[in-house]
Amino acid sequence: MRSEVMNIETIGIPQALLTYRFHLMWKTFFNELGLTVIESRPTDSALLARGDSLSSDESCLASKVFIGHVDDLIDRVDAIFVPSYASVSARQGFCTKYQALPDMTANIFRDSHTPIVSLLIQDMSNAKEAQSAYIQLGEQLGRDKHKAKHAYKTALKAQRAADAQAVKAQELQLKKVSRLRQSAQEASAAGPLVILVVAHPYISHDAYLAGPVLEALMETDAYILFADETDKKKAFKESFRFTETMPWLISRELIGSILMLQDQIDGIVLISAFPCGPDSMTNDAIMRYIHGTPILNLMIDAQSGTAGIQTRVESFMDILRFQQKGGYLHG
Amino acid sequence: MDRVDAPESLRSQVTVTQERSLRALFSSGKKKPDKRHKHIRVAFFRYCYYDPAFKFFVEQVLNAEYLPLPPATRRTDEIGTQNSTDYVCTPFKHILGDFADALEAGANVIVQFGGPCRLGYYGELQESILHDMGYDDFRMLNFSRGLEGSAAVAWTKECLKQVNPDINVPKAALRLIPLANMTTKLDAAMDFYLANAGFEVEPGSFDRAWEAFMDDMRTATDDKAVNEVYARTMDRFRSLPLNKPADPIRIGIVGEMFTAIDARANLGLDHKLLAMGVELHRMMNLTNRFVRYNEGNLRLSASEYIRYDMGPTSTLTIVAAKRYAEEGFDGIVHAKSAGCTPEIDCEPVLQRIAQDHSIPILYLTYDAQTSDTGLDTRLEAFYDMLAMKKQKGSRL
Repeated sequence: MRSEVMNIETIGIPQALLTYRFHLMWKTFFNELGLTVIESRPTDSALLARGDSLSSDESCLASKVFIGHVDDLIDRVDAIFVPSYASVSARQGFCTKYQALPDMTANIFRDSHTPIVSLLIQDMSNAKEAQSAYIQLGEQLGRDKHKAKHAYKTALKAQRAADAQAVKAQELQLKKVSRLRQSAQEASAAGPLVILVVAHPYISHDAYLAGPVLEALMETDAYILFADETDKKKAFKESFRFTETMPWLISRELIGSILMLQDQIDGIVLISAFPCGPDSMTNDAIMRYIHGTPILNLMIDAQSGTAGIQTRVESFMDILRFQQKGGYLHG
Repeated sequence: MDRVDAPESLRSQVTVTQERSLRALFSSGKKKPDKRHKHIRVAFFRYCYYDPAFKFFVEQVLNAEYLPLPPATRRTDEIGTQNSTDYVCTPFKHILGDFADALEAGANVIVQFGGPCRLGYYGELQESILHDMGYDDFRMLNFSRGLEGSAAVAWTKECLKQVNPDINVPKAALRLIPLANMTTKLDAAMDFYLANAGFEVEPGSFDRAWEAFMDDMRTATDDKAVNEVYARTMDRFRSLPLNKPADPIRIGIVGEMFTAIDARANLGLDHKLLAMGVELHRMMNLTNRFVRYNEGNLRLSASEYIRYDMGPTSTLTIVAAKRYAEEGFDGIVHAKSAGCTPEIDCEPVLQRIAQDHSIPILYLTYDAQTSDTGLDTRLEAFYDMLAMKKQKGSRL
């Protein structure tokens, strides 16, 4: 492996799964090391079809999409970056998919000649482990330790800045919403309907996967917030009010966001990719124990048409409007 | 005198007399009452053939009362399925049904494990669902709690809190040694059973010996007894007449910890295969996954296929499959629950192993609705293929 990737020039990053969390970090890291980063093309039906045919039948949609993105990069880059994020931390873990990804990908594409470059992060709560994993990766790619360390620090900074930006943007959105609500109240008109979209970032920000849902929401003039853009650290802490033993970091952040924003939203839209392991349990828990806010629970799979989604979103929004006007009691 | 038969007004009196007579009994006898014993009924979910080990854990380690469960019924799985979301993994549904059975049978405490996949969240969600179903008066010994710090400390605290605050911890910890011993003996006996029961001359002889083994193991309370029961059983097993060919069809079962082993979950996979007259092997068991598990070392033996640990049971699945392939087994059966992410992710690796060693693998996915007849057909077809392949090979 070491010799194979020693002096490569281009590296491919599949635009799926954890890339949606670490996009800027990974890109900056490899750029700082002097590599050219090549991103896979946006998800489309042909890409999904390729991923589907290469994957095990029973893999989740997100996994099939990921394999489609690797397929898009294969043979046109010198190596592909697929890290392994494992779950040693009992409360900041991931779906085992993230852990298995490099080996699963390498076995699926064994006959191709593009090597998989990887690193292992076992415990997300351990910042030192992450740093040394990235430095080691830099060394594997033939860079010296100092350069790798510098690249990692720059990358981390870039990612943090981008995350802070997203948090700030959401805060501004919330301020705007409350202004709109106030002026609507003064004019005794109906205020905006604010919808919190709760989904893993690789679903909610993938235009092909969540696009139909978001478009349907926008057509009804809903004001959309994303649960994954809430302050992650605060949301993570908040999640312990809801669950003690939930093992998944991202699910915790999404649930924490619901708890933090519940007073400021009118409805929640859950979007899950079939058959998502963590969602099979967390969305059940959300449906059972988040009370007082209407929830629309949507599942998308490789076959789903958009007509059904549109109908469900429209009727959900109708209900919210109706409720906003006072519902059955005051109508 | 039975307390329940006495009129309401007398009950407290009766209790007092009863206690007195009990005390009298103990003081005149040789044994002092165990003040640390807790009269609390603890139940596990139904899991493979480990019931004697669970009983030992409750009685000898927790010093409480073990509540055994009768075999699962259709109703068990209906309750489990109806109260779970559709696409949660199947063991969740089986276990939820078990817990409902246990609570109806009068359990005070039910026990749930933890793990690095969805299993880690089973306990909390099942506890909530059971409350929603109307079961209010129970506690859960949930080994997923408190894992922010050391697991050993968290688990000890949880046992003291949920079951018995009077456990003598150092003494109880020492009893984990015979517990581990019992687990390895259960697995070792099962290995012998799997390899030979398919060739018994007298139908049912192995099953009868196995049942006797389980009954005897349930009475064992220390290492010595465990070893004696095991030795006796193995003597009995070895004395059973066999009609085993020199080169039988050998099948390795791989897969995730619940479905690959548990007869209810895999619809009696072992029995169905043994009935065809084959030799079975299954590396996946509690001994190899916990008592003797060294993930790093194990993974090294499959390093041409995998670099990292891919999930809770993935390394064992892959290494076992590779070993069966290298040892010239005729086929491999991969059994898993529907939606089991780690085992689904093993499949591309298993396909490579099958390719490299030209060994057929039958992939079985079980959900709560899987049909028995459908499974029979697939197993028969698989067996026929293996038998034909073997015949062809021997003629060459």
